[in-house]
Amino acid sequence: MKNNLTRIFLLVLSIGYVGILKAQTPSDDLLMQKREFCVALLYDAGSWDQYWEGTRLRSNANIGTFSKKALTSMVAYGITNKINLIATLPYIQTEATGGQLKGAKGIQDLNIAIKGEIFNQQVGPGKISFLATGGFGTPVSNYLSDYQPFSLGLGTNEWSLRGILQYRFDNGIYVRGAAAHLWRGQTKVERDFYYNNGAYYSEWMDVPNALNYHASVGTWLFNSALKIEANYMGLRSTSGDDIRIYNSPQPTNQVEVDQVGFFAQYYFKTIKPLQGFGVIASYSKMIHGRNMGQFQNYGFGITYQFKI
Amino acid sequence: MKNKYIFIVLTLGLLFGLSCEKELLTQADYTDYAFAGIDEKGGSWKPILLSGASQIVIPAPKDVTSDEYKTELNNVKLAMSTLNTAQRETIAYWTNNPILRWNEIALELATKYNLIPEPNADGSYPVPDAANPGKYPLFPYSHPPYTCRALAYLSVAQFDGLISAWNYKFKYNRKAPYEVDNSIVPAYAKTALPAYPADAAVVAAASRDILIAMFPLEKDYLIAKANENMVCLTWAGVNVQSDVDAGAIIGAEVAKVALQRAGSDGMKRAQTPRAISDSIKTAALNRFGWQWDNQESPVRPVGLAPLFGKVKMWNVPTVEEVRPPVPPKPGSAEFNVAVQELKDVTKNLTTEQRKIANWWSDGLNTYTPPGHWNRFAKNFLIKYKFNPLRSARTLAYMNMAIMDAGISCWDAKYYYHYPRPIQTIPGFKTILGTPNFPAYTSGHSTFSAAGAEVLSYIFPAEAQQCQTWAREAAESRIYGGIHYRFDAEAGLTQGKNVAVYAVNRAKKDGAE
Repeated sequence: MKNNLTRIFLLVLSIGYVGILKAQTPSDDLLMQKREFCVALLYDAGSWDQYWEGTRLRSNANIGTFSKKALTSMVAYGITNKINLIATLPYIQTEATGGQLKGAKGIQDLNIAIKGEIFNQQVGPGKISFLATGGFGTPVSNYLSDYQPFSLGLGTNEWSLRGILQYRFDNGIYVRGAAAHLWRGQTKVERDFYYNNGAYYSEWMDVPNALNYHASVGTWLFNSALKIEANYMGLRSTSGDDIRIYNSPQPTNQVEVDQVGFFAQYYFKTIKPLQGFGVIASYSKMIHGRNMGQFQNYGFGITYQFKI
Repeated sequence: MKNKYIFIVLTLGLLFGLSCEKELLTQADYTDYAFAGIDEKGGSWKPILLSGASQIVIPAPKDVTSDEYKTELNNVKLAMSTLNTAQRETIAYWTNNPILRWNEIALELATKYNLIPEPNADGSYPVPDAANPGKYPLFPYSHPPYTCRALAYLSVAQFDGLISAWNYKFKYNRKAPYEVDNSIVPAYAKTALPAYPADAAVVAAASRDILIAMFPLEKDYLIAKANENMVCLTWAGVNVQSDVDAGAIIGAEVAKVALQRAGSDGMKRAQTPRAISDSIKTAALNRFGWQWDNQESPVRPVGLAPLFGKVKMWNVPTVEEVRPPVPPKPGSAEFNVAVQELKDVTKNLTTEQRKIANWWSDGLNTYTPPGHWNRFAKNFLIKYKFNPLRSARTLAYMNMAIMDAGISCWDAKYYYHYPRPIQTIPGFKTILGTPNFPAYTSGHSTFSAAGAEVLSYIFPAEAQQCQTWAREAAESRIYGGIHYRFDAEAGLTQGKNVAVYAVNRAKKDGAE
């Protein structure tokens, strides 16, 4: 089942003009086998021309169209057949067509996750599996989180715990759900006074924790060379304030996202010189949000898998 | 099984990580303190607005041997014997120098209301209406001119009220409850100051009324705060009720005097209609050959407070005498040098420069530069253990100087009507938002130099630090890409020149 191995976690969730999720989080059922590597390069282009100020969707001519491009390198490694290590590191560039504010660019956060399969067994006409992921992300450059919406990310550590449940029919069709809790720390900003439903005298801002949901329906086609999938992603901050009228967002904001998307991945299984390679394409659009730009994202990627 | 261990490790890591979180302060971290001095002669200091310390009249207090006083004293003891935790926390919050808390409350309100109006659907802009403050955009929009003025009236009313209070304190010399009855253990540091009238009640009532006028939507909140401040005085065992009542009379009366001045100082006309704004712009174009234009989308047709420069000054006879010289003509050699510096600096901005730009940005939804200097001043007042009267004096002279600096700066801004870097440099992008008013001179520089000058006079040991801060505030606007160096340099000189008038007045007020 070599083809099973390369499929990696490629929901590129670089949502958020704040890069809320920082980078994609492993939320699928796939695992590398022991001593197997997968490396990937992913490009994601997101943009919005409207954003939710609190829950009000609005435009702002001093931003115009906002765009965020991310180039993410990723490596996954099979520690055992049941436990994988995954690391991602994105380079991000943001800019706006309106107004006079400078965009930002640079390396964002290093994310490391460990994914393990808790069980996987045949039940009826398919297999049911449950996996869990524990992740940690931390900024690796001195980007400013308090420069919204241009900030590369939230500028804080993030710990995550995720449960993934999937049922895969023997014919290749699958349904999958995942739920995670994201614990965010505080972010250091370049001022020691700010407003968050009241005055704060601190260089630190609390970044709200969040719940993160994924749901997917998909299928494997052409002898498991092609995977296509429709998916949903939800994010709910568990606290935080709203962007005030015509004011800038800040890392303390309560962010909500509902996003739908498609995802396709193809493995070059039979074309000799390309064996080990795969390509990925994704599309997503936010359909509901709060304190967030209404992103539409296109993603492309290339993966390569090998064993040592 | 391995998975389990991994998750245990991760969970421990998580707990460890979260335990590193900093406590986020929402107010200045200080407690009551013993005053460095009590300024026995404070009642003879020269007030700013009052004709003298006895302009406001309060009744003579009952003697501590009277039945009325004994009843009041018993009420204090009764209240003190039943205090709950929340009441004790409230007492600790207010301290024996509530000047600091009221200033902090003012800064928080200034921050809350410092939001610029958004455009209407048709591209026009609404303007806050003092007659209908709850309608969007809420009144006030507490931009820097608005905030510096609110702080000046607040501090002046507090100062004059306390001079009046000091006068009666030493005239009547009625002791504090804990001196009359040594079974009373006060919650605040003991002082030799006589208790009638209660100085904190003067501060509470005056602050309440000034801030209600400045932030009308906060009326209920401010009344509750003042009541809380006043009731703490008996709970703390430092005043009886008649001390508090007499203080409240002074506070309310002095606020009326201050608000009378505020009502006719010209601020109502500062935000002009379009036609007047256009005529000011045309006058500059005819005089100098240039004009500032707002660069926002949609364009804001009127700049911020074009006639703030006409508002009545506190200590400078005419705004023209502190007006800075003509800035370099756009396209001139001197101008080009400044532009080249801006391009170079913003292109190669260091981490340190970026931090300075952000540290001083004090833009929308902040307490503005005047607020920043009030914060510095409060830290010094605590450090040097100033009593309320001397605290109020410090803030009054500083905030008068800062407001006068603002008036002078706005006079220059609209007299010269000088274009911003984003207007003169094609394609120029910045890390700070460019404000809705002309460039020359820099408000940050002017406000800061004025604040630094007064604080240097009051706290000579901190002069070096204050001058360093003012210089940094000025430079920050260059790093942010929103001011030319000549805006900043001229602003520093202008702010200092304006503040000299306040310092010269302070030197003669009897407090030295």
